[in-house]
Amino acid sequence: MADLVYKFLIGEEKVYPGALSCRGCGWALLVRHIASILGENTVYVVPASCYSIIAGPYGYNHVKGSTVHTVFAAAPATATGVRAALDRQGNKDANVVVLAGDGGTFDIGLQSLSGAASRGERIIYVCNNNGAYMNTGIQTSTATPYGAVTTTNPNPSYKKTWPKDLMGIVSSHNIPYAATCSLAFIQDFRRKVERAKNADGFSFLMIDGPCPPGHKTDPSQSISIARLAVETKLFPLFEVEHHRVKINYYPKKEIPVEECLKLQGRFRHLFKENATDALKTIQEQVDSNWKRLVKLEEISYQF
Amino acid sequence: MTDVKNMENAVEFKRHNPKILKGNFAAAEAAKLCKAGFIPAYPITPQTTIVEELSRKVATGEMDATYVNMDSEHSVFAAAMGAAMAGERVFTATSGQGLFYAHEVLHAIAHFRLPMVVCNVGRPSIPWNIWADQTDSLAQRDTGWIQIYTETSQEVLDTIIQGYIITETLDIPVMVVLDAFYLSHTSENVWVPEQSLVDEFLPPKQKKGVEIDGYHPKAIGGLIPPEEYETFEYAWWKDALKVEDLVNTVGKQFGEKFGRNYQAVEAININEKTEMVFVTTSTITTTVRGILNLHPEIGILKIRLMKPFPKKSVLEALKPLSDNALIVNIERNFLGGKEGALMQEMKRALYGERYFKMYDIYAGMGGKDVSPITIENMIDKVRSNPDEIIWIDFE
Repeated sequence: MADLVYKFLIGEEKVYPGALSCRGCGWALLVRHIASILGENTVYVVPASCYSIIAGPYGYNHVKGSTVHTVFAAAPATATGVRAALDRQGNKDANVVVLAGDGGTFDIGLQSLSGAASRGERIIYVCNNNGAYMNTGIQTSTATPYGAVTTTNPNPSYKKTWPKDLMGIVSSHNIPYAATCSLAFIQDFRRKVERAKNADGFSFLMIDGPCPPGHKTDPSQSISIARLAVETKLFPLFEVEHHRVKINYYPKKEIPVEECLKLQGRFRHLFKENATDALKTIQEQVDSNWKRLVKLEEISYQF
Repeated sequence: MTDVKNMENAVEFKRHNPKILKGNFAAAEAAKLCKAGFIPAYPITPQTTIVEELSRKVATGEMDATYVNMDSEHSVFAAAMGAAMAGERVFTATSGQGLFYAHEVLHAIAHFRLPMVVCNVGRPSIPWNIWADQTDSLAQRDTGWIQIYTETSQEVLDTIIQGYIITETLDIPVMVVLDAFYLSHTSENVWVPEQSLVDEFLPPKQKKGVEIDGYHPKAIGGLIPPEEYETFEYAWWKDALKVEDLVNTVGKQFGEKFGRNYQAVEAININEKTEMVFVTTSTITTTVRGILNLHPEIGILKIRLMKPFPKKSVLEALKPLSDNALIVNIERNFLGGKEGALMQEMKRALYGERYFKMYDIYAGMGGKDVSPITIENMIDKVRSNPDEIIWIDFE
């Protein structure tokens, strides 16, 4: 019996049952794992995002830890205040964690994220990147993938720019730890949460966030689509220590991006006869990004 | 309010040290005396020397606080919010555009019922102007902060100390407002109380059990449904009604301890013979005080507590006044409407209680000097039966 318990990834649950997320959402799963690693002496700072809702309305708390809701643009700043106060009060063991979406990270919150990263605040910043403003009803963010439709990029005006390289921007702040994570690679994800927890300074985790209503996917396929995103190199798994890049997973087979995109309704229009150029563009960009990442890893340990 | 006579006669306040301080340095000195533990900061003229001085005090170990250079005023106030949620005594300062930029967070801090004292050194908005003007803070009247306007460096220092008692009693944030340059950058004699005297008046920050500490999990600020939202506003409203009395009580207690009395308003030469009362805030009050020896028929109603507006104190101060007296509001603010802030507030306070012929004078915006001659011009202008709204010394 003891052996059986030992084999569970989560020894003791640090979230309460009954999260308010949609079926197949990444938030509930990722917070469940993060909370199980960080424990109860943790303050979660939450800007406007899907997690503002999932964390529970007034009177409820999804996590066995503390939750602080704050303004959209300044979660890292609020976290800075919380961190400073806890440090002054001698609770240096506490974890201070920002749980933000991609809108709060790539767009409106980018300045305060940059400020906190530059100051080296001892904060773990977690971005659940589901590629749009999902909480307000699927509007385009600068994390929205090329080719996707949203309610503010409706077909045929699908998004025709590439998401900004946020991992590049954040790791350029010379922080001790930044990593991409996938819920389909849960042991890798958990290892990275541990690394972030133990980092001496600001750490950043970006998770590929499944969103069935926003991506127009079947909730039962959330994990398999997340796995395909890694296998097709749409969402490579890597980590950056200061400026040094390490790729954590090399796909064993060449799988075209179509295999992942065709399962998502937000890309459906790309599979009509006259739209094949867009698929080609995405494949070329993904290949180019991957080659660049491999080169970055190669040169990372040469100096 | 500095008792000028006391200064000239060098009447000593016990357990105080006399210093020559600019308004901004008096503010920094007060933050230190109050043992503020967390100071997020961002530079903006003309408050910058407040946070510079605080950074120096912290860097040299003169003050035990965590000082953080933030990335914007929006982040300054968001950080102040986080530290206050975790129970720290928080201080910071800003001006003009900085305060406008932080507007969203001002609402959040007040709605979270977080105690803190913040200085605003007033200046207007675009086109660029860095000089004295109260438009910035008066435009924040509806964010739910208590606002107290100061006249001298001594009053800045004393008001910050009182501000922490007020804010930590009611859990409503306090904004202490200074005039740019006329106060922020002008040196004056200031009696600086000894630390032990301040400690006896202002105890260390007490936790109330609602703070984030890491050991007792709790959630702050989750979504509140329509059925419950009003209960928070109602509780806040009940406390907002206590502000005026509390400001008067704390001002009186401060007087007993430190020898300098303060009230929500100050009535000067208001009696049954007073023909004209200037309603003033901040440093313009000092200028009007200066002409009273030439004009025994003039009185002053200095508004110290601006928000929530101290209706009871105003009515009490004007009680001796005859119904024929004129009320003249001096406005160093422009809020995009017909009337300035003082006229709006005075009319609201007097409605249904007393009726006086009332004038509103726009003066000194963007730092323009309001000299004794300007005050004389105001008296002449009002006596010549002008329109209700006057722009003085304006061509």
